[in-house]
Amino acid sequence: MKLLKIGISGVRGIVGESITPPLVMDFASAFGAFVGGKLVLIGRDTRVHGPMLQSASAAALLSSGCDVVDLGICPTPVLQHAVRARRAGGGIAVTAGHNDIQWNALTFIHSGGTYLNSFQGAEVLDLYHLGRTKKADTDHLGTLTGDAGAAEGYFEALGAFLDADAVRRARFKVVIDACSGAGADLLERFAALLGFDLIPINNEPNGFFPHDPEPRPRNAQQVVSVVKAVGADAGFLLNSDVSRVSLVSETGESLSEEFTFPLLADSYLAGRSGVVVTNFSTSRMIEDVAAARRCPIVRTKVGQSHAIQALFQEEGVLAGEGSGGVAIPAFQSAFDGFLTMGYILEILARSGKRLSALAGALPRYHIVKEKIYCPPSIIHSVVNAAEALFHGRAVDTGDGLRVEDRGGWVQVRISATEPMIRVIAEDRNKERARVKADEILHELELLMR
Amino acid sequence: MKATTTLKISISGARGIIGDSLTPQLAASLAQAFGTYIGGGPILVGRDARRSGIMLSEAVTAGLLAVGGQPIDAGICSIPTFLYLTKAHKAAGGIAVTASHNPKPWNGLKFISRDGLYMTPHQTEEFLDIYHQGEFAYVPAERYKTPTSIADGNEPHLRKILAHIDADKIRRRRFRVALDCNNGAGAVLGPRLLAAFGCDVVPIYAEPNGEFAHDPEPLPENIAEVCRAVREAKADIGFVQDADADRLAVVDEHGLPLGEELTLALAARYVLSKKKGSVVCNLSTSRVIDDIAAARGVKVFRTKIGEINVVEKLLAVKPRAVIGGEGNGGVIYPDVHPCRDSFTAMGLILEALAETNRPISALAKTLPRYVMIKEKIEGSAERAHRLVGLLKKQYETRGKVDLRDGLKVEFADHWIHIRPSNTEPVIRVLAEARTKAAARRAIETLKTEIARLQKKL
Repeated sequence: MKLLKIGISGVRGIVGESITPPLVMDFASAFGAFVGGKLVLIGRDTRVHGPMLQSASAAALLSSGCDVVDLGICPTPVLQHAVRARRAGGGIAVTAGHNDIQWNALTFIHSGGTYLNSFQGAEVLDLYHLGRTKKADTDHLGTLTGDAGAAEGYFEALGAFLDADAVRRARFKVVIDACSGAGADLLERFAALLGFDLIPINNEPNGFFPHDPEPRPRNAQQVVSVVKAVGADAGFLLNSDVSRVSLVSETGESLSEEFTFPLLADSYLAGRSGVVVTNFSTSRMIEDVAAARRCPIVRTKVGQSHAIQALFQEEGVLAGEGSGGVAIPAFQSAFDGFLTMGYILEILARSGKRLSALAGALPRYHIVKEKIYCPPSIIHSVVNAAEALFHGRAVDTGDGLRVEDRGGWVQVRISATEPMIRVIAEDRNKERARVKADEILHELELLMR
Repeated sequence: MKATTTLKISISGARGIIGDSLTPQLAASLAQAFGTYIGGGPILVGRDARRSGIMLSEAVTAGLLAVGGQPIDAGICSIPTFLYLTKAHKAAGGIAVTASHNPKPWNGLKFISRDGLYMTPHQTEEFLDIYHQGEFAYVPAERYKTPTSIADGNEPHLRKILAHIDADKIRRRRFRVALDCNNGAGAVLGPRLLAAFGCDVVPIYAEPNGEFAHDPEPLPENIAEVCRAVREAKADIGFVQDADADRLAVVDEHGLPLGEELTLALAARYVLSKKKGSVVCNLSTSRVIDDIAAARGVKVFRTKIGEINVVEKLLAVKPRAVIGGEGNGGVIYPDVHPCRDSFTAMGLILEALAETNRPISALAKTLPRYVMIKEKIEGSAERAHRLVGLLKKQYETRGKVDLRDGLKVEFADHWIHIRPSNTEPVIRVLAEARTKAAARRAIETLKTEIARLQKKL
């Protein structure tokens, strides 16, 4: 089974199986046609096969007549910012985010610095399927230049957006685990911007992930022990392209990645009103937080593309996901790990409260996230058939199946990135969440036989 | 040319037209096949000065990485420099992005073995099988290598030439040399080498940007500029490198082109004056070489057209031949490296000039005089093949027939040769005789014969 996931805003797969130079080139050529031969910026995370996808993309774009600027190793939010700042036609982020080391992906960035929305994504896919790409002759080929300066412009803008002085005055001690991803090597600059005392972990941008590049408690042992040892004010875990963050409090408690978004929202929404966008799989915490601020919630399918598309449609003020990705459109409409960390430090500085206290003030839910392998050929049928399990109850089919109950909710959906069915259950009661998830998993196994 | 193909994959590598047949996908797939064939290890990637070089170089890099190869970017370097570098750098192989002397819309890939030679036809066949079958050895993440680059890919070749050419002897003469690099890859090392020989260089089209200022074939009709420059600057000699600097044409101190057939003759005569050994050249090379070798009592071995054929024979002859080449201006001096090398050729000719104390025109005049006419006619290899079959019957009673590469017929005072091109979809026809009129007569007879037979095909 060769795994290839074609999503709205890109293509993702296992390198050497589905991700090969010709495939990457075909998609990059389609994107080159989509941007109409304008400038395209390419950045990558630190995965060892990143240079392969980068070179293949560059070759195809040059052949399509696009000028290309190679940003080298570059976090996706920094790339997104640079696309907008330089008025480029678009960008390609070579990163598989939180997926393990065998995976890589092309994520296409629109000229506005955002992930492609579903209409734009469909257009690229049509161009790919049609093979209707441009092949420039020698005189009209694009030119390739290197550039390492994207981070400067990004951090300058970030410093202007945040209350950097407030953070600086607090003189925090902060532990950050870059997971040897694209954030590595930029942490010092980030620390200098906000004047905190940085204790970096896994800060070599070599692509040898010391643990799964997914910010969540099970990967947080190193941060937890360092936070305790040095008495840090906060600990952060990043994914490989700095689009997601999870938190470790000053007590060394590793907070579920579900906390990042509501914790930031609780402060950001104070004094603001507007739509908050999240997905169907995100904890109810955000509903309680938004309700307290009288902000309506709009739920979308999982994924940055959907969230950002809804953000624009609803003219929302904030978007985020339970996976630790948060976008503040006043800065940029992108899940942005540096912005997330920076804003949380600003909250700590302005409120004078400890991270554990801020987390403790949030409503407590227990969330269980499970996944089960399902062959792609039957995956949709299995999820459709699963609707029978909820007979008589109101099923929201906005993303898979989602059913609310008194204590929480349960969701069954197809993974956007892997051939997996995800089962997510949340409840105020820990036991009940577990039982709800296990029941569904059992039924799914029966359905797949 | 509309009816014929714009893509050519042969023992000379792959060539095609950018924006048409030669896509990044094709280049990456060929690189994947090559990397699979080589079985990983460091693989040099170089390119000539064409604008499309960087695009193909990126594509090749991606293809090599995908099969576990480690691409080493050698940047812009000419083909002889690249061949030598592949060996000197102890790489497992090399891919040169170049279309040699083909016009600007073209580019291509040449595949190099670990000893710095073009892949043999046998090796090429094996690796093209992998390409055609699509059996690429894609590797998982843990077997990926990191691409690297070489800061100065031209320096090792420069040092090697200086070790085998008597640079001091040349320096003492303080030659003034006009050099036309035609904005090709030779522009990187050419002026640098001549400066190392203590020459006062008059550079012409010495920007390595691939914007060929004239038809890149170093034929007399394409090199008027350097001829004028020689006269105006009162230079001792003029040189013209072809687009990837493997071939060299020479202009005398009066600004008159010597004709590309004399490049090898000048170099070979000088080398044979220092070393006793045999000479290897291809079937289309002028008889001048036979006369020079006869004067020294050494043998000439002739091969099929294609540099690799000459090189293989040169290395196979026991003892190894001391010099070889092609009549198109390609000089192979195996002491530096067994490949056509315009830089080494400049060194040998300047050394010969430094030794004699006579002007280059006088040196050329002492060579036996022949006139060769080279023409091409439209037609595929298949058509050439059928023509050869029919022509053979016409000619076998009249002269000595050689069928190793198309049809060559030797007569007492002239010869003719017809063969399919390895690099373009054309048929080449050649004739050489003692006088221009005789050569013209021979080629017209051949072409009339062909025209008559074409109707039968």
